[in-house]
Amino acid sequence: MEPLDTGECETGFCAEGEIAVNIGGVRVVLFGDVLNRYPESRLAELVNCSTQNSEVISSLCDDFDPGRKEFYFDRDPDAFKCIIDVYYFDEIHIKRGICPICFIKEMEFWKIDQSVLDECCKSYLSEKEDELKEIANKVKVILEDLEVDQCITRTQRCQRFLWRLMEKPGSSLPARIIAIASFLSILVSAVVMCVGTIPELQVTDSEGKLVEHPTLEAIETACMLWFTAEYLLRLASSPNKLHFALSIMNVIDFMAIMPFYVVLSLTYLGTSSMMELANVQQAVQALRIMRIARIFKLARHSSGLQTLTYALKRSLKELGLLLMYMSVGIFVFSALAYTMEQSHPETLFRSIPQSFWWAIITMTTVGYGDIYPKTTLGKCNAAVSFLCGVIAIALPIHPIINNFVVFYNKQKVLETAAKHEVELMELKSGRDARRKKLKLVHEKRLDMCLENHYQCECR
Amino acid sequence: MEKSLAELNKAGSRSTSSLPPEPVDIIRSKSCFRRVRLNVGGLPHEVLWRTLDRLPRTRLGKLRDCNTHETLMEVCDDYNLEENEYFFDRHPGAFTSILNFYRTGKLHMMEEMCALSFSQELDYWGIDEIYLESCCQARYHQKKEQMNEELKREADNLKDREGEEFDNTCCAEKRKKLWDLLEKPSSSVAAKILAIISILFIVLSTIALSLNTLPELQDTDEYGQSTDNPQLAHVEAVCIAWFTMEYLLRFLSSPNKWKFFKGPLNVIDLLAILPYYVTIFLTESNKSVLQFQNVRRVVQIFRIMRILRILKLARHSTGLQSLGFTLRRSYNELGLLILFLAMGIMIFSSLVFFAEKDEEDTKFKSIPASFWWATITMTTVGYGDIYPKTLLGKIVGGLCCIAGVLVIALPIPIIVNNFSEFYKEQKRQEKALKRREALERAKRNGSIVSMNLKEAFARSAELMDVVVEKSERPHDNHLSPSRWKWTPKRAASETSSNRSFNAQDLGSPNKARATSPQRLNVQKLEEMYNQMAKTQSQPNLNAKDRGSRVGKQRDEIELGAIQDHRPPVLGTREGVGDMKSLSSIDSYISCATDFQENPRFPHSPAMDPGLQESNRFSHSPATALSQHSSGKTGQQTAGEREPMLTPVCVTKPSCSENARKFFFSGNSSKSLIPKGGCRNEGDSGPSPLSDSSVLSDSLLSPEVSVYTTASSRTPPKSPESTALAPTVFTFHDSSISKYIDADTDDDEHLRDISDASPSERLLAGSSPKRSMNINYQRGTNHLEAAQKMLGQNCLFPLEGIRGIAHENHVGHEMARRPKVERGRQNTLDKNL
Repeated sequence: MEPLDTGECETGFCAEGEIAVNIGGVRVVLFGDVLNRYPESRLAELVNCSTQNSEVISSLCDDFDPGRKEFYFDRDPDAFKCIIDVYYFDEIHIKRGICPICFIKEMEFWKIDQSVLDECCKSYLSEKEDELKEIANKVKVILEDLEVDQCITRTQRCQRFLWRLMEKPGSSLPARIIAIASFLSILVSAVVMCVGTIPELQVTDSEGKLVEHPTLEAIETACMLWFTAEYLLRLASSPNKLHFALSIMNVIDFMAIMPFYVVLSLTYLGTSSMMELANVQQAVQALRIMRIARIFKLARHSSGLQTLTYALKRSLKELGLLLMYMSVGIFVFSALAYTMEQSHPETLFRSIPQSFWWAIITMTTVGYGDIYPKTTLGKCNAAVSFLCGVIAIALPIHPIINNFVVFYNKQKVLETAAKHEVELMELKSGRDARRKKLKLVHEKRLDMCLENHYQCECR
Repeated sequence: MEKSLAELNKAGSRSTSSLPPEPVDIIRSKSCFRRVRLNVGGLPHEVLWRTLDRLPRTRLGKLRDCNTHETLMEVCDDYNLEENEYFFDRHPGAFTSILNFYRTGKLHMMEEMCALSFSQELDYWGIDEIYLESCCQARYHQKKEQMNEELKREADNLKDREGEEFDNTCCAEKRKKLWDLLEKPSSSVAAKILAIISILFIVLSTIALSLNTLPELQDTDEYGQSTDNPQLAHVEAVCIAWFTMEYLLRFLSSPNKWKFFKGPLNVIDLLAILPYYVTIFLTESNKSVLQFQNVRRVVQIFRIMRILRILKLARHSTGLQSLGFTLRRSYNELGLLILFLAMGIMIFSSLVFFAEKDEEDTKFKSIPASFWWATITMTTVGYGDIYPKTLLGKIVGGLCCIAGVLVIALPIPIIVNNFSEFYKEQKRQEKALKRREALERAKRNGSIVSMNLKEAFARSAELMDVVVEKSERPHDNHLSPSRWKWTPKRAASETSSNRSFNAQDLGSPNKARATSPQRLNVQKLEEMYNQMAKTQSQPNLNAKDRGSRVGKQRDEIELGAIQDHRPPVLGTREGVGDMKSLSSIDSYISCATDFQENPRFPHSPAMDPGLQESNRFSHSPATALSQHSSGKTGQQTAGEREPMLTPVCVTKPSCSENARKFFFSGNSSKSLIPKGGCRNEGDSGPSPLSDSSVLSDSLLSPEVSVYTTASSRTPPKSPESTALAPTVFTFHDSSISKYIDADTDDDEHLRDISDASPSERLLAGSSPKRSMNINYQRGTNHLEAAQKMLGQNCLFPLEGIRGIAHENHVGHEMARRPKVERGRQNTLDKNL
């Protein structure tokens, strides 16, 4: 790029139908009819109105030099060089190095439609835009936390206070303490659930059956009460109840609490002989499994787990692929193994569905050894199935891992970005006031200087 | 181009010939134009005054407020009221985005721009990085954080090194030798042998330890219990003796006992030795006591601790060390992995427990009991001691397998990434360290007459710049040497071969004017260089020998040459050069390539021109003169010379400091900055040399420093240092100190020094205009080249770098008006 293309044009004039524009110091001479290809663009408007009054001109450009017939624009010359392409090639490519968001702003200024942007650059743009949106969301969340209470009613204020206490562990010390307490209670209840199943720690009840140790049960009850209180408080403080009830985290919370109460009510019904005792016990057994849901409550306290779920959600396709590969492999190899092992008299492969288990265990390279091939052919088949299993797992897993890593890194980046964004906002709000002050000072100083000057000259 | 050059010349003549313009003129000019032309590193921009007014506290905003010559000069590097043009000697690429910030209120960052250099630019323009738009911010901050981390590590390393001062106690020299022998296996052959022996002992002792447990090799003692095999016990004793000796020697020779004691590697050593002694103590003292069984149990535990000695290998393996570091650094991810696994185990074990509970003689008796199964399944080990039997259990098992594979695989790439990054870094540092040690050794052998290298370095760099500069002005034919210089330099940088350089040299028509001693010099240096390349086994030694010799010769010649011409001070003005060039070249080179394989050969051509250039310095006064005579009369220059001469001796110390500063800035991309900051000023010990070598991480560094030492000898008493003094401040302290900030307290000290040189202030006060003026012309001369090359520096092949780097710096740093900027920086700091 030649800095300031001051050729012959500067000294002389521009031919009819040409206009000279100066974009941030870079002088370009443009043909009017070329510009008119996009009549709604700023430059075309300028060409068409160049004979008219100066008001229109000044509305279109930043400065006008009547002597040189040069229109001055206070814009980025680099971006302009890309934008000018639209008049010649009907498409725009964003120059490497220019931020696409910034470029879009420039395009808006030149009144050129975004649709002329070429596909290759569009994807880049959308990528950036997505990222920005995410950051904006994060910022919004953070800003909400910082927001000053403006609620009128007392109940609303209470609600907000409660909400922050329960949902934002970073907002205050009590909130953090509550978060830690709930985390610990999750851990404790999970441990209790596991320990409760150890036969040595169980006690026999009146009917000779093994039931959980009373202390463990007490701890369990306490944890459950805590969970319930937590859930109810959250529910009470949430601004949007339906939204709250349907969000995944809260569904998990609900699932963790619910079995306890169902079991309670069922046993009550069972003892009051409204239902058959056997049925009740079966139902209780089934509901016990539901207790596992409380482990998922940990996700609330770990960003890594959230990332995992997010990554898995985003890579559902790859997960499907993984399952498909696996199932195809399982079918093929179990069938093969079954047929090959038929010849052996003491075969462990009695049917194809039974050898599914073997196929899974082999393909995932676990290999318990409860079922194994005994014939040579079967062993060869096992080796092949093991290899195929490794490949079948490794191939679709890679994109999933990739997704995870990308999200993980992005999470970190977003966090810093959002933090800085908030800082910036604070700064901006503070700066506006300051700037006004400075401007005043500056103007005063200039006036004084000029005055002095005049006085000097007068003397 | 021609025209703009003329314009700029005009601008130059304005500030040289006339007094600084009255504030009135400035105000008038400002009110005359709605727009202002900003020339940043040669790239012209035009912008409305009111656009600049949007951010009044930034540098450009202040430009509007400045109404006197002095304040204006503080803000910009040059200006021309007639043309309404203001010149800034900065990176033009970054400025585009910065100017756009004024226009649009959005600060974006050029994609290809290095985050660090962009942050420097932001500092210069007085814009806070916080304004960076969120789309670019992520990248910027990530890069910066990464850099900071690296810096911190570097500083830690440095501190370790700093600690190794042996001057406080008795027989320091011997202790140092011992320390080197034991701690630095690469320092000598003996040290290497010792390290190998040590490794062998570790391996031997671990083998003995495991053989000891073989029942066939065990003996039975009087109680009928098996004890150690006596032969193996001897081996064990010998090994332990060796370890103990090693540890004690290390401890005795260590410069800082407490730090040594705390070091993780030394803790491991201690843990490897102690159990043995504890065992002996316990068995000996309790032989007849009743609670022999208890003692035995304790002894057994200590026996297990012997395993720790295998960790001693970490001392000898970078890989193990980086593994440890990686684990420490990625504990977040490790925690995640464990959390995932724990959750998976919990879920699947409870599921399988409920599925298998009712089976007869099931092994899934409780959830904790099925933990084992879940672990073995999720990690796909699958012993087969416990496995599901019901259909439901099998389904759960299958899911568990797949989930296990997934969950384990997820966080591992992040850890792996951490590891590989660190490993690479470690490798790089190791290489740099070796380089440094080699240099130090060479120096200890006395082949380099030690003088303040930083000063020397700076001077040589400056010399080079002078030459380069001249070389770029072919049409300036007042004195032929400039022409003479131009051709060879070009040739050298382009073809990067000594031969062609010579040929050109000889063929050059103006060569006749070149005095023969210099020719001789060139050849000498070249010869030296070749020699060095040949004798790669002991390159530094050789080089240094020759270097110092040649340097001496050249010294004499130099002085003679200077006397031939007019007063040398003129040359000094020219020398307002950038000391950065050398170091920055290094950094460029090290950025561009990884050249681990063959350090010297590939880069030799690239280095050569620089050598020759510095060699040719003696001509610069002449050419400098020529420039002056073209611009102004000799009278005036002479008049202005006086104040410059006086502060020579005063400025000298600060020179070194400045040189160091330049290192920082030059190498900021390599993040080695804090080094110099920690050192005391003017220490002529090992620090200068090591500075250069460590800083310029590239393998080239030794050569560079060799040359520097050689060339530095040239003008020790000549007034070059005066010219140097202003140069000092070409770098804005804030950015530098920011880097240093990360880890050293010494930046205070640094600043102090820079503040404490009144002579420089004096100097710059007396001559800013003129030197700047010259610089201006120069800068614009090379605008184009610089502009083009700027972005590509790092990508250029080595051969190219030489020339490019020069042109760049000519374009950039040369024209910078040093003192004023520093002052401005100060004011900025205060303001902020």
